[in-house]
Amino acid sequence: MTVSSVAVLERPLEALWRGLLIYRVLTLVSAVAVILYMLEDYATQVGAILVVAVMCGWTAVTGYGYFGGLPGARDLRGRLALVDLAVTVAIMATTPLVQTAAQVGADAPVMGSVWTSGPVLALALAGGVRGGLAGALVVSAALLLVQARPERELGDVQLLFLAGLTVGFAATVLLRSAERLRRAVASQAAMAERDRLARAVHDGVLQVLGYLRRRGAELGGDAGELGRLAGDQEFALRGLLVTGPAPVDVHGRHDLAAGLRALGSPRVTVSAPAHAVYLPAHAVDELVAVVAAALANVAVHVGVDAPAWVLLEDLGTGVEISVRDEGPGIPAGRLADAAAQGRLGVTRSIRGRVLDLGGEIRCETGSGGTEWIIRTERA
Amino acid sequence: MRDGVRGHRMDHQDGAGVTITVMVVDDHPIWREGVARDLTERGIHVVATAPDADAAVRIAVATRPQVVLMDLFLGATSGVQAIAGILAKLPATRILVLSASGEHTDVLDAVKAGAIGYLVKSAGADELLAAVRRTAEGIAVFTPGLAGLVLGEFRRIAGTPAAGPTPALTERETEVLRLVAKGLTARQIGERLAVSHRTVESHVQNTLRKLQLANRVQLVRYALEQGWADEWADD
Repeated sequence: MTVSSVAVLERPLEALWRGLLIYRVLTLVSAVAVILYMLEDYATQVGAILVVAVMCGWTAVTGYGYFGGLPGARDLRGRLALVDLAVTVAIMATTPLVQTAAQVGADAPVMGSVWTSGPVLALALAGGVRGGLAGALVVSAALLLVQARPERELGDVQLLFLAGLTVGFAATVLLRSAERLRRAVASQAAMAERDRLARAVHDGVLQVLGYLRRRGAELGGDAGELGRLAGDQEFALRGLLVTGPAPVDVHGRHDLAAGLRALGSPRVTVSAPAHAVYLPAHAVDELVAVVAAALANVAVHVGVDAPAWVLLEDLGTGVEISVRDEGPGIPAGRLADAAAQGRLGVTRSIRGRVLDLGGEIRCETGSGGTEWIIRTERA
Repeated sequence: MRDGVRGHRMDHQDGAGVTITVMVVDDHPIWREGVARDLTERGIHVVATAPDADAAVRIAVATRPQVVLMDLFLGATSGVQAIAGILAKLPATRILVLSASGEHTDVLDAVKAGAIGYLVKSAGADELLAAVRRTAEGIAVFTPGLAGLVLGEFRRIAGTPAAGPTPALTERETEVLRLVAKGLTARQIGERLAVSHRTVESHVQNTLRKLQLANRVQLVRYALEQGWADEWADD
């Protein structure tokens, strides 16, 4: 996580505050230009220039405040926005004093004109929807009070409320999503730390189980039985640690290597690449089921303790899985006989599944053992 | 005398007659002592033990064992680090990984760093003894799992477009590695391919050497891309 992204998490509204500054300056330029252009019409030109001076000075003060405030100080921008609102209303209140009756009657822009919308946005950023609406309410009220024909100001009033509402809503959403992101980052860090600690603990457990298995095998007898049980648990735990929940890539595909490793046991050796072998989730489920069925077949026909080896190869365009045992082999015609007698075990659970996936399966069997070779292409 | 033993090229036949010096690196005292005792009882000279990577490198330099039995998970330090550290100072040392955690990427990294064998910790004491003897002779100790990892790594290297030549396996080497991964012993493979089991072992050995070479090629290529070569030239 970079420094700047941390800053965004900590103060998600900074960009909006900076945007407000630009808006403030642009509206100041436009409002001042209009006043200076019509300077001759004013009842008191000195008064009008005085108002312009206050607007410029106040824009500078709020600009400094809104830009992040005094360094190291508390965030007082909410209070500054309230003062901003008061100053803005005061500027608007000078309208009957500075403008002639003719100007007011002709619906000349209120003193400050578009510049007066600034505190509405500031309040919206500081106080969300409620702040924005309150600001819009106050500025609208001031506008309607100083203007001779309030009904003509309804469009501006609408715009003020719309601005307060949308900016307030955006600020609320931004704050909420930054908070969520912050919590997600924190929990991710906590998970990583827990994983690190768990790894040390689990490694210790694995070591002791492995030692029990080894010593048990040496001692034999009852101790051998205990050692064998410890060995089973060691395998189960190791599989869990290495495998974890089947890893999934961004396309929702599953890791076939992890799925097959979960089938490992003291009698079943599973070999696979170190990297994940991603395939569609359905294909992974089916291939794992096929290998499990083939291994079950070894346990039934060769012996419960008979060793078996599973090899997964990622060929790029597809995958190849080999399941091998060193049993007496399958007599010629036995699979066909079994199918003919209605015992569809191997045929259905192994061959059928592979063919449904569009893959190929072949069986090499002889006195040296049996090897199933399953091959599927990637779509 | 120690140096004399190290310099002596031992043959298969009389390998048992010469005392092999071993260092055991493991963060668990129960294992360290257990393995050391098992080996001592069977006539192996355990010259040192070490609990972490830093101590392993330091003690190896002081005791110069022929074979280092290396656990990969050493508390806060890693066995891969220790392997690289030891081989940098003592390139002739033979390193056998003895790991419980079964972290396949760690095992692959250890082999790339220069380990020449891998055994799971639950292997029996006699199996361990045989593995130490083979390692001392420089013969790779391969499990089917390790063969699967090495095979997968070469397929991965072949699948990624490289900027230049990268060591690849010959057809025969791939064939041998696949059979090892499928659980066949060197003798069974020899029978199947009509070659001696020594030939099979030398094929397996070559795959490891090529993997280490490929790793070095990749490191150098990476260094060149990053412009580190100039810095090295300045040193």
